[in-house]
Amino acid sequence: MITNDPNQVKETVRKFIESSINIDALGDDENLFDSGLINSLFAVQLTTFLERKFGIEIGQDDLDIENLKSVSATAAFVARKSAGQAAATAPAAEEKAYP
Amino acid sequence: MNMFLTEEQRQRYAEFQEFAAANVAPFAGEWDRAQEIPESAVSQLSRAGYLGASTPSEYGGRGWDVVTFGLLNEALGRSDSAFAGILTVQSMVSAILVKWGTAEQRSRWLPPLAKGQTIAAFALTEPGAGSDIQSIATEFRPNGRNDGLILNGEKKWITSGQRAGVFLVFGKLDQKPLACLVPRESDGFEIEPINDLMGFRAAGLAQLRFHEVPVPAANLVGKPGFALSHVAPVGLQYGRISTACSSLGLLRACFEESTDCAVSRKVGGQRVGDLGMIQSLIAEMGANLEAAGLLCWSACRAEDNHIPETFTKTFIAKYFTSRAAVQAASDAVQIHGASGCHESSPVARFYRGAKISEIIEGTTQVHEVVLGKGFVHDALRRQRSRKRPATP
Repeated sequence: MITNDPNQVKETVRKFIESSINIDALGDDENLFDSGLINSLFAVQLTTFLERKFGIEIGQDDLDIENLKSVSATAAFVARKSAGQAAATAPAAEEKAYP
Repeated sequence: MNMFLTEEQRQRYAEFQEFAAANVAPFAGEWDRAQEIPESAVSQLSRAGYLGASTPSEYGGRGWDVVTFGLLNEALGRSDSAFAGILTVQSMVSAILVKWGTAEQRSRWLPPLAKGQTIAAFALTEPGAGSDIQSIATEFRPNGRNDGLILNGEKKWITSGQRAGVFLVFGKLDQKPLACLVPRESDGFEIEPINDLMGFRAAGLAQLRFHEVPVPAANLVGKPGFALSHVAPVGLQYGRISTACSSLGLLRACFEESTDCAVSRKVGGQRVGDLGMIQSLIAEMGANLEAAGLLCWSACRAEDNHIPETFTKTFIAKYFTSRAAVQAASDAVQIHGASGCHESSPVARFYRGAKISEIIEGTTQVHEVVLGKGFVHDALRRQRSRKRPATP
């Protein structure tokens, strides 16, 4: 999925984070890492989700807490990465269910 | 698992089985007794390209998919889980460098790791920090010249530690988790072999001591603050996949040895395989083998597809398969009777080795906590969505 619609990116990110950290309504700027809600796998699950869903590649240079600290920050990070990679990245196939 | 494999994966699996049957299985008992795998055996693993199984070809690896990597681990684990342990650790460090290494680190380290010219170790566990990785006490501090760090601390139970040429060491810099590559020849770095383990005896475990060890800034992997949240989990994911699939191999070995014994061993003139009690043990073993194979395939496939569910699927595969291997090894000894209690029988080694798979890459209990919490969390989410009023 590659989209340029910032609201759509934000809602997709919000849905994933809400389902991952078991919270009902997450504020746009609520700090995930101060919330005490995230578990030990959350960071890599989020990284994998963003790469898969938005066709971006997250590397060492992107390891900055400011990039992923909230829904707004993550959406803005995705927008920046997508803009940089859009031309070179093919869309990811839809997720499949496996037994 | 076999029914879901591609033709290429099937052919590779046959190649891995041949390799293990010729180069590993006949010597595994001897290596276990000597508590050492000879360099010549590791060289064979390197020459076959297996230590770079999942490393991209641009760095000298084979670039195989994760299902194929799982099959390689299964084939090696079928013969010797200690031997498979070399591949486990090499893949953990390589996967981290592929994901979080700088371009310079990938170019410098991945080709020798893929070719087996350098053996790697993953140095996370400490005498006082096992599953609770947040409490690691190893410390880095700036060297005062702005071009590197000084490392102090201790690590324990480090697989391949006796042999490794480079160690990915986890510690803290001003309380921020940090990972650095530390070459074996570094000043102030001591390596003490750990022998006499219950199983996994040839895996070359070691205790490491760092006393004012200089580490160049170029060896820092990831950034300070991200070593435990982002860097280590990538390696541990590969470690769990490898351990789950290696345990699947051990489970298969127990099943094959048990069924062979059931048709050849006689008690009171009757084949033991004709006894209902033995059939019960074999039935459970065979069913667990089938289930474990599917769980491992599902985890590997999810990793190949790079979906977030891959982490949970891998936890499930490792949890189930390692426990099933322990049960199968115990039952295999039971089926063999007294001969299974003697070191001349491979099932005695399987029995000792199986238990280790329940400890490494996260204990069974850690897996239960993570999975149990996750399943309760999913139920709460379903409950909340049912209660939420429908949108008009």
